Amino acid sequence: MKKGWGTTFLATCVVFVFLIPLLGAFYTSVRTDEAIASGPFVWEFDSKFEHYKNALGAAGYDFPSFFRNSVVISLGTVLLTILVSFPASYAIVRLGFGGPWLLRLALALRITPAIFFVIPFYKLFTAYQLIDRPLALILANTFINMTLALLVFSGAIKEMPLEIEEAAAVDGASIWMTLRKIVFPLLGPAMAAVGVLTFLFSWSDYLFAVVLTSSEATPVTVGAANFVTSYGVRWGDISAAVCLSVLPPLVFATAAQKFLVKGLSSGAVKG
Amino acid sequence: MSTTFNRERKVAGWILSAPLLILLAGLLIWPIYLGFQTSITHDVLSEFETYPVGFENYKSILSEPNFWSSIRFTLIFALTATIIELILGFALALLFDRYFPGKRILFSLMLVPIMIAPSLMAVMFRLILNENIGVIPGLLNKIGLSYSIFDQNNVFTSLIILDVIEFTAFTFLLSYSALQNMSQEIYEAAAIDGANKTQTLWRVTLPILKPALAIVFLLRILDSIRTFDSIYILTGGGPGTTTQTVGIYIYKTAFIYGDFGLAASAAIVLVLLLAPFMPSIIKQFNLGTGDSK
Repeated sequence: MKKGWGTTFLATCVVFVFLIPLLGAFYTSVRTDEAIASGPFVWEFDSKFEHYKNALGAAGYDFPSFFRNSVVISLGTVLLTILVSFPASYAIVRLGFGGPWLLRLALALRITPAIFFVIPFYKLFTAYQLIDRPLALILANTFINMTLALLVFSGAIKEMPLEIEEAAAVDGASIWMTLRKIVFPLLGPAMAAVGVLTFLFSWSDYLFAVVLTSSEATPVTVGAANFVTSYGVRWGDISAAVCLSVLPPLVFATAAQKFLVKGLSSGAVKG
Repeated sequence: MSTTFNRERKVAGWILSAPLLILLAGLLIWPIYLGFQTSITHDVLSEFETYPVGFENYKSILSEPNFWSSIRFTLIFALTATIIELILGFALALLFDRYFPGKRILFSLMLVPIMIAPSLMAVMFRLILNENIGVIPGLLNKIGLSYSIFDQNNVFTSLIILDVIEFTAFTFLLSYSALQNMSQEIYEAAAIDGANKTQTLWRVTLPILKPALAIVFLLRILDSIRTFDSIYILTGGGPGTTTQTVGIYIYKTAFIYGDFGLAASAAIVLVLLLAPFMPSIIKQFNLGTGDSK
């Protein structure tokens, strides 16, 4: 055999096994209802993509609104997470704010199971009438992803050569100027890593979504799971909805794969 | 100049950290207080009145067999899944640690499970495992085997397979990054000393990567201890309570059975059980955060 083709074959088999659930869902989503009902190996495909049309609103499901909620919640979380953790990381690393304690606290929070916060958050958001509003999930997801963002940002800031900032200070630049003109542009890759990971993890959130929403703010994760119980026999539509739900993070994270890899292996702390 | 400079730095530190401090006050300190308060309250959804009960909820939870069996199941599940994922992820990283045609696209495809929400993966699993329409039972039927997710004998294996399919990509990626950081010279030195491939792996590569792999292990086991979505969607903790993780136990106690007081005390007991390990885990991550000036 030619050089390396054996490995290619082996790796392809492994990849195929890992993708069976996704391929299986896709397979079901493009088959006709009759084919699905008559067993898994009846090859009859639906050329009009009825299941996708149904999922996207033709059959009157709430799926389009779940989808919108997921987009709002994920993008809102990305923005708020960066807004909260980028300036704080600079203060911690370069201005010595809070000593080593803030980062240690972040790590301790990382170890604490999210379920610990579920009941307090439920009480808190009930008291402020935020239940079933996207803002509740944006806040909860920001809290969960903040620790990872702090670790990635402070790691990146530590790696920046101190000399540039010192030179700027000698030239009379204020901290604000240095932050805006020097630090911010240099942290582009870290920003991208935090962005893609936060998007991924908040899109994936199920626990907070199932507790803090009931219908109006429900995202796709909870929506798809409820779909199975409420429309138990409409497997084609369910598969189409699931395939559509996986698509945005898949496209986004594949496009930003370099940053995903960097963020996961440098921060090395998954939310 | 230096005193105004220091004052400016101090003020800037407070201003820059303000959003974080507000978030921590609102979403950490206040909720911890709320959680503790709930745990010492008789707070049951179906009863209109709540009243303080002291540490009664803690007494009940500590003598609740379902709580302890959920902790035992969580530990067994987390340990089994983590060990399989670590070994498999590392083996796959070794496979990818060389040139072969199509490596880039296959590497990207290997990472796809990371991008799929565990809850959505669980829904897909329900599809492919469904007795009537699923591909897997269909294939097993063809070779004369029958399969049901809820069969007591299959359920643990099915859940482990689900977890392995979802998270091996993570251990694979981190092991691969660690392998990429190994210097080529070490391999050359080993080759000059006449070590064969197996010897190099066991005597050179593994010892050097031990600290990195230990962190991957820690990250994975900490994450699998909090497993909730996938198992909840696939089995709901059943049959009976046999696959109930501690997360599912707390969730059900609060939101299905409506006993918030008991669930809040269970959550606090869980964190207290983890607390003794926290300092050494934080040390293991070895952040070196002490270099602030």
